Amino acid sequence: MNGKIVQNGDKITISGRFSVQDLAEVTAIFEKTIEKNIVLDFNNCISLDACIAVRIWSIVESRRSAGDTVKFQGTNQDIQAIFDRFQAIDDRPVVPVEKHTLLYNFEDIGDKVLATWNTVYGLATFAGKAFIALFTGKVRWSIIAYYMEQSGVMAIPIVITLNWLMGVVLGYQAGYQMSQFGGELFMPALLAYSICWEIGPMMTAVLVAGRSGSAFAAEIGTMKVRQEVDALEVMGFNIYGYLVTPKMVALFVVMPLLITAANFAGMAGGLTAGGIFLKMPAVVYIEAVGKALIPFDLYWGIVKGFFYSTIISVTGSYMGTRVRGGPASVGKATTSAVVVSIFLVILVDALLSLLFIHIRPGLSI
Amino acid sequence: MKENIMQLESLTGGYDGKIVLKDVNIDIHKGEIVVIVGKSGCGKSTTLNYMLGLQRPYSGRVLFDGIDIWRDQKTLNAARRRWGVLFQSGALLGNYTVVENVMLPLMEFTDLTKAEMMDVALSKLEVVGMEHAAYENPLEISGGMQKRAGLARAMVLDPEVLFFDEPSAGLDPVTSAELDETIQNVNRSLGTTLIIVTHELASIFAISDRVIMLDPEEFGVIATGSARDLADNSQDPRVRAFFGRKIGE
Repeated sequence: MNGKIVQNGDKITISGRFSVQDLAEVTAIFEKTIEKNIVLDFNNCISLDACIAVRIWSIVESRRSAGDTVKFQGTNQDIQAIFDRFQAIDDRPVVPVEKHTLLYNFEDIGDKVLATWNTVYGLATFAGKAFIALFTGKVRWSIIAYYMEQSGVMAIPIVITLNWLMGVVLGYQAGYQMSQFGGELFMPALLAYSICWEIGPMMTAVLVAGRSGSAFAAEIGTMKVRQEVDALEVMGFNIYGYLVTPKMVALFVVMPLLITAANFAGMAGGLTAGGIFLKMPAVVYIEAVGKALIPFDLYWGIVKGFFYSTIISVTGSYMGTRVRGGPASVGKATTSAVVVSIFLVILVDALLSLLFIHIRPGLSI
Repeated sequence: MKENIMQLESLTGGYDGKIVLKDVNIDIHKGEIVVIVGKSGCGKSTTLNYMLGLQRPYSGRVLFDGIDIWRDQKTLNAARRRWGVLFQSGALLGNYTVVENVMLPLMEFTDLTKAEMMDVALSKLEVVGMEHAAYENPLEISGGMQKRAGLARAMVLDPEVLFFDEPSAGLDPVTSAELDETIQNVNRSLGTTLIIVTHELASIFAISDRVIMLDPEEFGVIATGSARDLADNSQDPRVRAFFGRKIGE
């Protein structure tokens, strides 16, 4: 401690240089001073650390509010400036904290509804511009091929593995429940139907949203942060045509293929579960699936794939373009891309399922 | 009387409804080097965004060669093809090599063969002393090199106006001085109009023909003139404070 603090009756003499390490000692001296009228002598004080100064100031303020008098003596220009700043801060009018009243809650809900509407409106406008660019702009085959590889070829292992596992789990659970009343032979039909109509397309969409939707948002978001998007725009590029439509086309092509692969992997999972847990011969399983499914069931997954691919590519790209400021907002954009994509995929899936529930030519089990 | 190439006419604008520029009038003459200066938050980069058509003004007009760039998308696109921009970060695309980045505008807007485009791009890289790094990944070269490569890309279509957003930011004084010299050479050899946003005093004195000073409290221009004249003769305390700094501050 370079500084020295001494209490002598109602006078506290502070001399030398003080830093944050001296905080406890300074506090102790003030605490043991019981006089009602105190004089703080700074005549020999060279400098005060901000932490020491604020502690002295807060003790002085509390003493003054308790009716004591505290006088400063001999403060040099720098030390006086510190205390003047604290005084100015104390003199500032207190901004009332917004109370969480019922009205506030309604306002909050209104703000959130407005923000959601803005997102929906922005997404729709963005999708419109992307479609215009898709039909009027240049076709960039090399970029499309790159995204087909990234979003399609590279996704095959994970899509197949997870859908196979889903098939195993669903096949085992369905078979086990059905075997309680001797109905395990219906498991292949149930599984194949649910895989082709719901599980395969949905699992693939969720995986692609997590893999590619987030990657699209991160890629465009990072380009925004690095001003690359501005540079492209100023160079006269149509950023929709350059950044968005190649991703749309690539996903539009690979998504149905991934869903088809997912469907077969899921059914293979059911075959595995049937063979291991239900002792069902493969030929029985395949024959039952063959009887249950019609080509339409596989086409339906492909149709859903077209919708899902558009949702994921447009949402991912849109969230990327909304990035403002620094890298932290790229993280937010990727999260939003995944969450909004999955939400929209499930919403569209529900709408498609409800609207087209009767279009299938009929079960042939 | 000098011919104007770019004008901001009674322009008001900002972000999310918050006004940054209010009723701003700026004239840029053909062939001059104009430096836009001012404190942080005074709207330097916002002014540049309006000139580049990256933001639509709340009111007022941005004229390029006498035509409002916001008349329609075609006008804006046509104007942009006559401009080049060097952004603060260089803004090179990470999935292309340096030379491919320089070739990008050629690929988009010309019918040149790939070999011809390569020749043009390499020649521009040579102008900025970057031919040795033509096949490097732009993310793996230094900040100064990225900026020089960005300058080569900005110049590749021989633009009439070149915009620079903080060209010296993040560069050491020697590299910064080299970049200043390259910028001046472009102006001298091609007669290109240069609009530069910076707060580097050394650069301002070294390269500017005219300085436009913005102030956040006025939401616009508070002084215009040569750097030397403003530094020596301005009576405005804000201008004096800006030019009274030591170089490098």
